[in-house]
This record gives sequence, structure tokens and C-alpha cells, in this order.
Amino acid sequence: MKWGAIGFMLMLLSHAAIAAEAESWVDKIKVSGTVETEWAVTPDQGDSQKFETIIQPEFNTDLTDNASLTAILRLRADAYDKLEPGSRDEDSRSPFSRRLLIGDNVDAELREFYVDTFVGDTSLRLGKQQIVWGQADGLKVLDVVNPQSFREFILDEFDDSRIPLWTVNGSIPVGDDSQVQLLWIPDTTYHDLPERDGSYAFTTSRLVPLAPAGFNVVINEEDRPTNIFSDSDVGARFSTFYEGWDLTLNYLYHYNDAPVLYRTVGAGTVTINPEYERTHLIGGTASNAFGDFTMRSEVGYSTNSFFVTQNATDIDGIEESGEASYVIGLDYSGITDTFLSVQFFQSVLTDDVEGVTRDDVENTVTFLAERTFVNEIWKAETLFIHSLNDGDGVIRPKLNYEYASNINVWVGADIFYGKSDGLFGQFNNEDRIYVGFEWGF
Amino acid sequence: MKMLKTTLLGIAVMAVISVGSAFAADLPDGRSLVERVNALDEGEHVTRNLHMKMIDRHGKERERDTVSFRKYYGDDKKTVIFYKTPSNVKDTAFLTFDYKNESVDDDQWLYLPAMRKVRRISASDRGDYFLGTDFTYEDIKKEGKVAIEDYTYNTVGEETIDGTKTYKVEAVTVDAKTAKELGHSKAIIWIDPKINLVRKSLYYDLNGNELKTLITKEVRKVDGIWTRHVLDVQNHKTGHHTIFTFSEVDYKTPVEDRRFNQQSLRKGL
Repeated sequence: MKWGAIGFMLMLLSHAAIAAEAESWVDKIKVSGTVETEWAVTPDQGDSQKFETIIQPEFNTDLTDNASLTAILRLRADAYDKLEPGSRDEDSRSPFSRRLLIGDNVDAELREFYVDTFVGDTSLRLGKQQIVWGQADGLKVLDVVNPQSFREFILDEFDDSRIPLWTVNGSIPVGDDSQVQLLWIPDTTYHDLPERDGSYAFTTSRLVPLAPAGFNVVINEEDRPTNIFSDSDVGARFSTFYEGWDLTLNYLYHYNDAPVLYRTVGAGTVTINPEYERTHLIGGTASNAFGDFTMRSEVGYSTNSFFVTQNATDIDGIEESGEASYVIGLDYSGITDTFLSVQFFQSVLTDDVEGVTRDDVENTVTFLAERTFVNEIWKAETLFIHSLNDGDGVIRPKLNYEYASNINVWVGADIFYGKSDGLFGQFNNEDRIYVGFEWGF
Repeated sequence: MKMLKTTLLGIAVMAVISVGSAFAADLPDGRSLVERVNALDEGEHVTRNLHMKMIDRHGKERERDTVSFRKYYGDDKKTVIFYKTPSNVKDTAFLTFDYKNESVDDDQWLYLPAMRKVRRISASDRGDYFLGTDFTYEDIKKEGKVAIEDYTYNTVGEETIDGTKTYKVEAVTVDAKTAKELGHSKAIIWIDPKINLVRKSLYYDLNGNELKTLITKEVRKVDGIWTRHVLDVQNHKTGHHTIFTFSEVDYKTPVEDRRFNQQSLRKGL
């Protein structure tokens, strides 16, 4: 079904292109891509976590003078199958965006497939794509247009973990320095959350309801919205450049990408019914450079957020609240070849909620230090994310060496710390050291 | 006898000084030479390919292919560079707004494809090296021209470079702050007076030691405009070396305004 749909889209585009410019678009196809291998070991377990190879070819061609096509495929093989053990289901994805699972260890995916064109001054990108909003690094306030795969928690590059969606994306210029972006996303695909036996399966009570002792737990299939019209997401962003400031106003009417885990309690049984809920997200960003400093900021308000409660008398185990979040970041580049960045992130629940497993106000800080050596042949970096509420976090040092124009090798570590019920501390046993290699063609 | 010797020596010294003064008086003023370089026609807009070759002191090479667009808006100019290859930097893009008004900081953005984000970057570190090359952000921005207010100038002689007669101009940074920003304290600039183009520059670091030499190796007229086609810069401190080769230079085809915004950086070429 899913590959049939993709094939149909390919045929449509092929015919349109052939009609417009017989055969020549095929001659213009340019192929590039990467082959990446990464091996990670978990010292606490004394074992390998993954030995993964990803082949990601990209095809570009000009269909007409005013239209180009981009297709990106991804073939991924993991020798250990610990991140997504067994044959996982793809129920959180629409049939048009599912991966092709080849046994337990291999999956193939059409990552992106879109046409870029102009209608007058309006820029259109039609097809499967990633939309990235926001100014924050590593923390998400507005960067929620696309869902995410959590197979490696938040350790994977967002570019790899973000799940591209079939989207109609138009940008209309307004005056010299402003644009309005309009989005229609009929693709009802949501987060890939790790299975309970995956390396990065969530265990913290902040996210997972705990059943009373002695109760049997039944988890029903998630009730994923399926109507491509009534269940689609829509969004708009106004962006402008004014007096040196980059400013945006954002609005997104969407489903939260994580299912709400409603609970019903019966005789000796707790049943979990995962459902997706809609919300309005309103926000904006502002950034500017001041001498050696660059200030980035991002704010968002979500009208409907849902949280697990420990209140045993609560009927469905879920409390609802509005949620305001913001990030302020300051980058410093006053030292040659060095980049320093700090961010402060705060999330505030705006309604009275009872017994929820998070604090009403939560604060997180990040610190990033990067330094390049020998004309950027070597790059050393450390990212530090720390929850001020729970005192847990993750430290991520990495060293990259550009061996040749198209060959990179790296070594790094992801080290979790803090209490085992924290968002980061829950993965204390998944600290890892990794080495990787990427070849570009 | 002794008195005669002293007199003759005095006459000889005076003669040498007089000849030297007459020679110096014949040399054109350094600042006016630089102003002529800055007045050189660059075209209202340009599209061109740029091949970057970076060679470390062991001879190991790294290469990048880019396409760049530049357009003047009155005295201000906008420049954007898109990386095409290799794959690991493909779609990286750099956009800069360079304002004539010196009191206004330039605006710069970098699109990093791995993050899919346009990052605002500080434009204050003009002397930082541009994305692993031996060219500084200032070199990239000025495109062979010189920020006239950054230096005091003195023409110190004539010299022939590859068969071309040039004036040798010493440009000393006006103050320590400017020197720190630019990453050098002084530059010797060899200017070709026939076409008002810098043929060679030798830069000295903040301690007065040789820092790098930039040589314009190939100059041709394109659409009636003298255009640098091969630039070779050698960093004397690191032994690293960068060669920029421009091709398919086109001053005629109009460059659309929509090339120079963040949306364009995200969408790429």
C-alpha cells in the first residue's frame, strides 16, 4: 500500500515532467549521498548497543525551468537490533509514511520526496519534507511541525530523527523583507516511541503511568487519526527582518505527536488507551547579533497539553493544562575558532493540575562548546543538557576528524547522570561510547 | 685632505637623499591607489562557480564546490554562497548583507543542513577564517577591495610581479582594535595600476611576523569587467594553503532578489 502510493506519486511526477520536457529531466538527475557507519558500546552493560550502517542516496533533477525534484532514500541496517528489537509495528505512522521493514535488522524509508517550484513570487515545496521552526538547539518549543523518532532518545541528529511528512508548503513574499509561510499537512504520522524492550524505552513516571501493585496492565493499540482532511495539521509563520532583528510569529493547529495515555481501571486490570489530542500552538522567535554575541529566543504557548497524574481518584489518569515554554540562548564567538553557547529553557503549566508527575515550572539549561583546529580539519565539541528541577542530564563530548573532503571519522560519548526517574537519568544504564565513519559520494 | 673627504661624503649623501626624495615624490599616493582599487567596476550583480582547494602542510587536499551570487543595492551589497559538494557539506549556505554605513554592523547567516536551521552569526570577527579556508570573512566580503578606513597607506616602491608593474603600498592598521578584528597588524599590497587590481598581498600578524600571502594568479576580462579567476593564499604560520578558482562568471544574467533571504538558504540552489 505505502510503496504503491509512493510509486503512484513517482509516476505522476514522471508523466508531468516528461510532458513538460521530454526525457531531459532524466538526463539531469544528479546523485549524491552518504554512507555512514557507527558502532556504540555501553560500558555499564559491557556490550555493544548498535553497529549501524546507513546508506542515504539523494537524487536531484530539474523537471522544468521552474520545477525541481528532490528524493532522499534511507537504507539502515543494525547488527544488534537493540534500539528497536524485533519487528516493530508502524501504527503511529500513516500508510504513506511507513518504513519498509526487512527482517528485524534492516529498514528502508523514503525520507524525502518533494518538488520545488514557483507560482509567481510564491515558493512552493510539495511532497514529503521536513519543516523546521524555531531558534533553539537541542530543545524544542516550536520545532514540532514534524514528529520525531525516539529510537535513540534525543541522541540522534534531529535531521535523522525527525520524521518527514507529506506537506503542502508555500511561502509568499510580503514586501522586501517579510514572508508568510502556509502549511497543510494531511499526513497523520506521529512520534515513533520506543517499544518497551528497546534500549531507550521510557520508564520514568513522568511519561509512563504506573499501575498499582498486583494489577494486570493492558495497553490497547493507539487510536491514530486517519482522515487526511479533518485530521490534517495546518500552520502559518510570518517572518521578517527588521532593524537587524530576525523575527517570526508562528501558529500551528496540530495533533500532539505523543499519544495521551488515558487509563481505565477495572477489576485487577489497568487498561491504557493511547489517543492523540489536538492543540493550538502560538509562538514566535527573535534573534540578533551584538558584537561577538548572538541572542536567540523562542517562545510558544500550547493550549492543550496532557500529563500523567498519580492521583488515584482521577478517572482517566490524565490532567490537562495549557503550557507556555520559552528558550533564551546566547552564543559567543569572540574567541578564534571557538563557539560557546548557553541556553535557558523554561516550561510553565498555566492551569491548576493535581498530582502530575512533573513540576508546574520546569527549568533546563544547556551549554555547548565547540572548537576547531587546523582549518577545521578537527572539531571538538561538548554538549551539556541539565534539568534544574531533577538534577539529571546528559553530557555529550565528541571529536570529529575530516580525513578527506568526503570522509569523516569521529569518536564520542553520551553520558547520562542523575536520578533514575528523571527524563535523562532513566537512561543511566545506557551511557555509551561510539565511533563512526561517513563517506560522501 | 680630511676636510675634503668629509665634504665629498656629505655631497654624496645629499645626492642620494635628493634622488630618493625625487623618486618617492614620483610614486602615487597609497590611499589614492587603494581608492582606485575600490572604485573598480564589479558589475551590479554576478553569478559564479567557486572551487575551493585546501591543502594542509602535509599536502593533503580537501575540496569544495560552490555557487555564489552577489548583488548591489545602492552602496550596500548582498552575497550568498551555496555549497554543492562534497556530500558532507552539501547545502551549507552563507548569506551576508554588507552595509556601506560603517556604523551599522553587517548581518550574516549560516545555514547548516545537519540542523536544517539558519543560524544568525556574529559579523564582528572579520579576521576569522572562512569555513576552514585561509581566507578570512573580511577577504570573502571585500572581494579584492580594501576597507579604506582600516589602514593608513604609504607607497613604498615599484615592483614587477609576473611581468606586471605594480606599486607596493604599505597599509598599517589604524589602531590596535582594528588590527585585532582583522587578525593582522599590517599588509603590503602590490597594486597593478593599469587595471587597478591587487596582484599580491602580504599580511603580518599582531606581532609583526609574516602571516599569509595572497596572490591573484589569473585575471581575465568577463563582460568588460576585470575579474580575478584564481586566488592562492598561503598561511606562513600553519603551512596551510587555499586556492580559489572561479568559473562561469556571469555579470549579465540578472540575479533575483529572492536569492538573498533565509528562505533561499533553506531551499538551496
